[in-house]
Amino acid sequence: MPGTTLSPWTMSYFAAACIFLVVGQGAMVAGYGYPFAAVEAPGTLAVVHVVAIGWLGLLMAGALLQFVPVLVAAPLRGGRLAPPALALLIPGLLLLVGGFAALGGAEGVSPAMLPSGALLLAMGFGLVIIMLATTLLMVRPLPLPARFVAVGLGALIAAVLAGAAFTLVLSGTVTNYAAIALLLNGVPLHAALGLGGWLTFTAIGVSYRLLPMFMLAPDDTRATSRAVWWTGAAALAIVVASIVSIAVDSDGMEGARSVATFLAVSAAVLYSADVLRLFHERRRKIVELNIRASYAAFAALFASVVMFALPITRAAAGERAAALVYLFVFGWLTGLGLAQLYKIIPFLTWLECYGPVLGRSAVPRVQDLVEEKRASIWFFVYYSAVIAATLSLFAESPAAFRVATLAQLCATVGLMVELVRARMLSYVAAPLRLPAGAPRPHLFLPISRPQE
Amino acid sequence: MTIETQNPAPREFDVRPILRSGGEPFQAIMEAVNGLRPAQALRLLAPFRPQPLFKVMEGRGFSYQAQEIQDGDWEILFTPKAAGASVEVSADADNPDSWPDPVENLDLTELDPPEPMVRILAAAERLQPGEVLFALLSREPIFLFPELSNRGHQWAGNFDETRTTFRIFVRIGNKAPKL
Repeated sequence: MPGTTLSPWTMSYFAAACIFLVVGQGAMVAGYGYPFAAVEAPGTLAVVHVVAIGWLGLLMAGALLQFVPVLVAAPLRGGRLAPPALALLIPGLLLLVGGFAALGGAEGVSPAMLPSGALLLAMGFGLVIIMLATTLLMVRPLPLPARFVAVGLGALIAAVLAGAAFTLVLSGTVTNYAAIALLLNGVPLHAALGLGGWLTFTAIGVSYRLLPMFMLAPDDTRATSRAVWWTGAAALAIVVASIVSIAVDSDGMEGARSVATFLAVSAAVLYSADVLRLFHERRRKIVELNIRASYAAFAALFASVVMFALPITRAAAGERAAALVYLFVFGWLTGLGLAQLYKIIPFLTWLECYGPVLGRSAVPRVQDLVEEKRASIWFFVYYSAVIAATLSLFAESPAAFRVATLAQLCATVGLMVELVRARMLSYVAAPLRLPAGAPRPHLFLPISRPQE
Repeated sequence: MTIETQNPAPREFDVRPILRSGGEPFQAIMEAVNGLRPAQALRLLAPFRPQPLFKVMEGRGFSYQAQEIQDGDWEILFTPKAAGASVEVSADADNPDSWPDPVENLDLTELDPPEPMVRILAAAERLQPGEVLFALLSREPIFLFPELSNRGHQWAGNFDETRTTFRIFVRIGNKAPKL
């Protein structure tokens, strides 16, 4: 039967993700990792993985458990694997970060934690992939947004495998030449698969379905959207082939990297055109805050990808283009994540709480669960801080960077308070808050009512 | 009451040239069947009534209509049995063609989600068991479907030809709703 129910564990994934985002930004404020240490320093690696896996990875996994069924209009398969997956991912990440800290000389931790962390992460993501892939496999033909997710899952597998190989070298478990060469040359490719393939490509796919939904725009599949899929998938295929060619000690893929960059830029440009078109064709004239905040994220995606492709800005962006990676991770991925959480959490809370009594009692609107004015200030501070932090990285000013990341952290915490208030129905006027028969939502655990 | 379906045009496959040249058409027919789109029918042209094929196709979920055309040739239309595949129905829905005419019609196309869902569930509360409600929406209401089923209602719906409006019929159930 078509249709979809709430994914009971999505909120737990979101809660864990938000904690890791605060921890990651807090570490940067404290002066841990780049730009206070080198880009390949263990501290930088620890912060990067807290943000990439802890925040973005858990956020995306939790969101997909809810939205892949929406993309394909079919129920999630194997949903009971969601809690064990989360229970593997969190300790896996903590072990990985402990291992990085050990490489940096921290006491009480050991580099041997790296491969064990990678193993738990691979198992956790493996369970997530099993749930999502079996759900996607039930549907023929696969709608275009779901095909983006399918490619994103493929990129996730490749990123996890490459990362696991790195941990074997870093911990000294494996010392053969190919593995060392992979670590020396493969890190940017691993990052491209994780940030570009898994997170970005998947987010683009989901946005093709959710943006028209939120803006009441036509969601027919355009040729440009298909072109985004083809160019992006081709770029990712080249990245995977490059990793394989390093591992087998062939230098056949050297020239292909610029082709991959060209394809990725083309995909970003085409996607930007699609997003603008959706905005123009929307039937809902006044768009909600989540859409307005998403548009800042789209601008960050466009700016970071185009500047990454230009040798001048790329060279000016610091070690391995760190300023542009920062803009990509915090402007695009994190900005989009926070913006969509601001819609998803109130909506899921509304449905969870008021779904059982809809039509039987007066219920608040979804918009009554939030206070957009307050949140829009936080979003403004957040994006301003991201721009300031990016510019301070261009200017190689660690002091300015620290101030900017502090402002960014404050805005993030402010938004999280807003999300908690939405979840707790704090903004709903008392007479409507909890009609008879409406279950009270828990902050991040499923409600005890058996899921229908 | 009928719900128009938008099945793709049947695919035509002529096995007469294969047989004339002494070939064996079974493999080619199966390939043609595998290449069908969802809900697409297959129109087969053969120089005789291909009796053994009917059983095979039945096993693959197709019904058939055979008729003799000129010169003793036969035209057989194999239709996938879930012919209404483009009409989505709730798991417990009996034949929607037998439902009574709707007593309430709602045009919810201009409303922002989730307001259409609220209106449909509210209308469902007003109606008597067995009565039918019809609504137009601008989206496929995927979060509504489980709520309807949960309350014991049946539904059937699909997009119109332009794929811009979703049409749904809801028949009010008489089961006590689960809470």
